[in-house]
Amino acid sequence: MTAITPLEFIHKKGIFGDHHKKNESDLLKISEVKNLTIIQVVQYKKSEVNITEVKIDGLEFPEQNSNVTSNKDTRILWSAPRTWLILSNKENIIDIVKKDLKEKYFAITDISHSRAVIQIKGMQAKEVLKKGSPINFNEFDLNRCVGTVFHGITIVIDSISNDPDTFNLLTLRSFGESFYHHITDSALEFGYVGV
Amino acid sequence: MLEIKCPYCGKRSQNEFSYGGDADIKRPELGKEISDKEWDDFVYFRKNPRGKHLELWHHVAGCRQWFKVSRDTSTHEIFKTLKLNEEL
Repeated sequence: MTAITPLEFIHKKGIFGDHHKKNESDLLKISEVKNLTIIQVVQYKKSEVNITEVKIDGLEFPEQNSNVTSNKDTRILWSAPRTWLILSNKENIIDIVKKDLKEKYFAITDISHSRAVIQIKGMQAKEVLKKGSPINFNEFDLNRCVGTVFHGITIVIDSISNDPDTFNLLTLRSFGESFYHHITDSALEFGYVGV
Repeated sequence: MLEIKCPYCGKRSQNEFSYGGDADIKRPELGKEISDKEWDDFVYFRKNPRGKHLELWHHVAGCRQWFKVSRDTSTHEIFKTLKLNEEL
């Protein structure tokens, strides 16, 4: 059975906004990220595990706020003290996590179905995000993440590339449609391609 | 608009936070007999000073942690932010 993604019937493909006389390859690209497994990991206060010694898919858990560790398939985002988000394209990542983290010490929750994920890519991606979020994007580098708001909607921004700027934007599934329209409306002045 | 330094995430805009009230309130000791007035004071009565005030804030759109903020309610100057287990 194929799952219906949060933006399945919302996301439109094509070229939109002020794209006249602009090279299509220079336009922003907006897409829905599908088939991403999102797992929230919380280390219990009484846990005796030293988190620096634990690795998932070869990745350490970042201890500094807003940091991300990543490889080709998986990213681990610092979310809060003793709390992380694991984002992965691997279908069996939940099994890997449950194997490497004992449930006695960690709360492991698969929240893939409850998040809408939008990817925005292009030179003006930061300009779009600046319109609705109070974060200082001039100091927001590659492999950083942040929990913030965009026009009042709580989101997580994950910086996955800087050539060109590419961000995965996570929000609650129920806010997905509203958030998608906020993003696409903000991108109209630059012109964007719905991919 | 305030810029509040979350003890866990660093400086962020007030948009990301939610005010949580007076941080000086202490719950009566468990099991201790207290009068209706003491209970009433704990549940309902809050200071509302013009000047320095210790407040609770919640980083609701960020790390979702509660923390204390020492702030001047008239000038909006923030003197210090602390984790819940820290004292001024």
